Amino acid sequence: MSTLSTDVLVIGGGATGVGVAWDAALRGLDVVLVDRHDLAQGTSGRFHGLLHSGGRYAVKDPQAARECVAENRILRRVAADCIEDTGGLFVTTPWDDPGYADRFAAGCAETGVRCEEVQPSQALRGEPRLNPRISRAFRVPDASIDVWKTVWAMSHGAQQRGARILPYHEVVTIDRSGDVVGGAVARDARSGDELRIEARVTVNATGAWAGRVAQMAGIEGVRVLPGRGIMIAMNHRLVNTVVNRCQMPTDGDIIVPIRTVSVIGTTDQHTDDPDDHTVPQEEVDRMLDEGERLVPGFRRARALRVWTGVRPLFEDAKADSTATRDVTRAHALLDHEQRDGVRGLLTITGGKLTTYRLMAQETVDAVCRQLGESRPCRTETEPLPGSESGEHYRLGERLARKEAELRGEQLICECELVPRSKLERAIAQTGSTDLDDIRRQLRLGMGPCQGGFCTYRATGILHERDGLRALEADASLLAFLQERWKGVWPVLYGDQLRQARLDEWIFQGVLGVERLPTAPETAGAGGASGAGGASGAGGASGLAPREAP
Amino acid sequence: MTGPGPALDGPLHFDAVVIGAGTAGMTAAIRLAQSGARVCVVAKGVGSTHLAAGTIDVLGRIDGEERVTEPGAALERLIASRPDHPYALLGSGVVADSLSWFFETAAASSPRGYEYVGGLERNMLLPTAVGALRPSTLVPITMAAGEASALHRAAIVGTHALRDFHPSLCAANLREAGIEARPVFLELELERADMSALGIARRFDDPAWRALFCAQLSPALRSEDHVGLPAMLGLRDPHAALADLERRLGRRVFEIPTLPPSVPGMRLYEILRRALRSAGGRLVIGAEVVAAERHGERIAAVATRAAGRESHYAAPWFVLASGGLASGGIELDSSWRTSERVLGLPLRGVPDAGEPRFVPDFFAEQPLGRVGVAVDPQLRAEGAENVVVAGAALPGQAPWREGCGEGVALASGYRAAQVIVRESGAGAPAGARAT
Repeated sequence: MSTLSTDVLVIGGGATGVGVAWDAALRGLDVVLVDRHDLAQGTSGRFHGLLHSGGRYAVKDPQAARECVAENRILRRVAADCIEDTGGLFVTTPWDDPGYADRFAAGCAETGVRCEEVQPSQALRGEPRLNPRISRAFRVPDASIDVWKTVWAMSHGAQQRGARILPYHEVVTIDRSGDVVGGAVARDARSGDELRIEARVTVNATGAWAGRVAQMAGIEGVRVLPGRGIMIAMNHRLVNTVVNRCQMPTDGDIIVPIRTVSVIGTTDQHTDDPDDHTVPQEEVDRMLDEGERLVPGFRRARALRVWTGVRPLFEDAKADSTATRDVTRAHALLDHEQRDGVRGLLTITGGKLTTYRLMAQETVDAVCRQLGESRPCRTETEPLPGSESGEHYRLGERLARKEAELRGEQLICECELVPRSKLERAIAQTGSTDLDDIRRQLRLGMGPCQGGFCTYRATGILHERDGLRALEADASLLAFLQERWKGVWPVLYGDQLRQARLDEWIFQGVLGVERLPTAPETAGAGGASGAGGASGAGGASGLAPREAP
Repeated sequence: MTGPGPALDGPLHFDAVVIGAGTAGMTAAIRLAQSGARVCVVAKGVGSTHLAAGTIDVLGRIDGEERVTEPGAALERLIASRPDHPYALLGSGVVADSLSWFFETAAASSPRGYEYVGGLERNMLLPTAVGALRPSTLVPITMAAGEASALHRAAIVGTHALRDFHPSLCAANLREAGIEARPVFLELELERADMSALGIARRFDDPAWRALFCAQLSPALRSEDHVGLPAMLGLRDPHAALADLERRLGRRVFEIPTLPPSVPGMRLYEILRRALRSAGGRLVIGAEVVAAERHGERIAAVATRAAGRESHYAAPWFVLASGGLASGGIELDSSWRTSERVLGLPLRGVPDAGEPRFVPDFFAEQPLGRVGVAVDPQLRAEGAENVVVAGAALPGQAPWREGCGEGVALASGYRAAQVIVRESGAGAPAGARAT
């Protein structure tokens, strides 16, 4: 077993964990980060993309609202390129308590959320698809944030400063001797090799999984309630502003325009298993109904995909409720030396994407205290790589760039404008043969055709560049098709159903992928029934002549 | 259904109106026109041909037989085990007759020498662009040399400009199947970094381009006796292109179908279009049926909207060949209601409320997959006695899983015309066989 030594070991590659790595690297600490899967594959990569103004919490959770206000301002500066400045609206629909609007305005004033009431007619001029029966409207500085871009930027920035970022490394043991945690052993999911990482401080940033990781260090009672929510991406910018229902937060009351889609969210169901990705039909129906209330005609638009995310809700000692929306959304930093008498281990969990930077800052402050060093935080002012100009992302920016280069470039994924050169670079950089890893980097296969055209192309390029064996390439192709289908089938209707059938036609009808050597159906029976047909058949027999060579 | 609004001109009268210009609709229309009927095809757009491989797949897989070797014999087993399958309604005789008819028609309407080969006795096993071996019953002559049993040493040729074909992956999978295949990349002089097979196919119509292509390819070939290319050997005269390449390269050459738009599919469409025209039928593309005039159990006329104006088509008979879920002929809305879109006809094969429509496994059979318009044994739609249904709109089939899409389309289009000719008392069409 090989061994690494470092100042800080971060377990968990979500926004918080990578945020900790970026923060610690900026302070000059040596960092190793491990995740059992890819970066941002858990909760971070499974949210709607809303950068909160604080408005959503203004009445219910003033502390959370204040944190959002501050972090919204900071992230607009340091992560400018990851953010589209859509602005936000809170609107009172006929189904909302009309008394909430005044409480909302007062809550915003008290917590510092910049909020301006506008005439409904004015709101409708800006967002003509909104329900014309809205009675109140407030503008707030909500925005949409691309979480993958944010996480990759921090990861690259940390790596440039010496951090070692190791996705697909699952922690199998936490090294604890007596009352001291000295690091962990992680297993490389690809090679199966184990790696010992000796660390002065270990940070458990595993969100909804934090209780399990703490338990591996022999620490009991870190209870994180996983709250599962579904989100549906609609294949259009049905709105260009984040639209919230002006009511106490509930299911299906936000639509976030992000990239070329709009995302409606979300539900909130307690689950015992953070890896539970069930999509109940009734939740899909509820989302579509709520969407229809905000944007009449919502159901006639094309639904691309549904997915679930699991919020990590740290259980407060006093709350014993399983209604997860009532548990605080605040984050929790546990210093296990103070809490359990175990030195060298911190747990950071709870919270929300908008406050990831603050969570990382508080965590690395605690790391420095444990190390007895004074190193001031710099993430408040240091822009992420790519965000130095301070300019926000604009819809259409990529298209403009692509059009300029189109003559000499080949698009592999037309929906998401992924050129061949970029795909080849990503294959080289990630070293991954998993097309889903490439997708998280480049958005490959995330558009309307959901991989219908790019899956074959990308597999071909992967095979050619990486010199994979046929069976490995086939496995990548089949796994990506299955992965895309996972989010499509529970919300499949209308034009997206036609698209799905076309994709099936291409892969099963034209390419015959189910007849590849590794295809699931033929895996067992292929030898028995397949080989006979391949040999001995004359082919030219029958009703028409065949030309001789 | 709502009745059509007033049109500027009166309705156009035909003996039969066919809705849909895929293989099924075109077959029905050509047969009707050949029998002397005045027939018109109206379609929202070109049909399935442009998406498919351009082969005629009659039957590639049935329960318990992963790869059907003898489609004629397997057809009988399918008919016995699946009484709801379109083939069970049609009978194997109609399938054989429709294929014979297709040979004659294709031969008469194809560019010189571009014929289909194969037969119900044995499926041909041809490489796909991913390098899997797919069974087809009839294939264009340009694909025939790719038959797996005769394929020993093959060069699989592509160019980086064509993103829809990847020789190294194709060759690697063929090697898994025991074929000695080697990828060859050519850097062709093309005007763009990004060409479709269709764009390159237009170049192959030019003999000078073919000479340049072969001059570049020849030195890259070794001991291979076969050369596989993506399906792009020209649109106007593909057989001449094939013969030219085989002569210049001194090897057998074959096409491999790849992502749409499908060049061999477009050739097939062109063959059917010419056959319809020479039989005197009409074809209106870009004319979506937007309304129907209905009297009780009969459809009197349909209205189409094209170029901003409505046209009415009246006929004693209609053929519904508007396809299934893929073409939009059958729809599922966000409230999970399934409907036939053109005439609002009743469906069969819709899972009961509360039952799954789809399942989490992409490669499993999807419960909604076999949905179609409810028909009687004569293919007549339930509740509309003068509407005959053909092609993917028929229930009980899984076109891609079973590899039966074109076979069902041909046989049911053929049968639809037969039913109409018989029922309308117009006498047997010229050259028709008794079934």
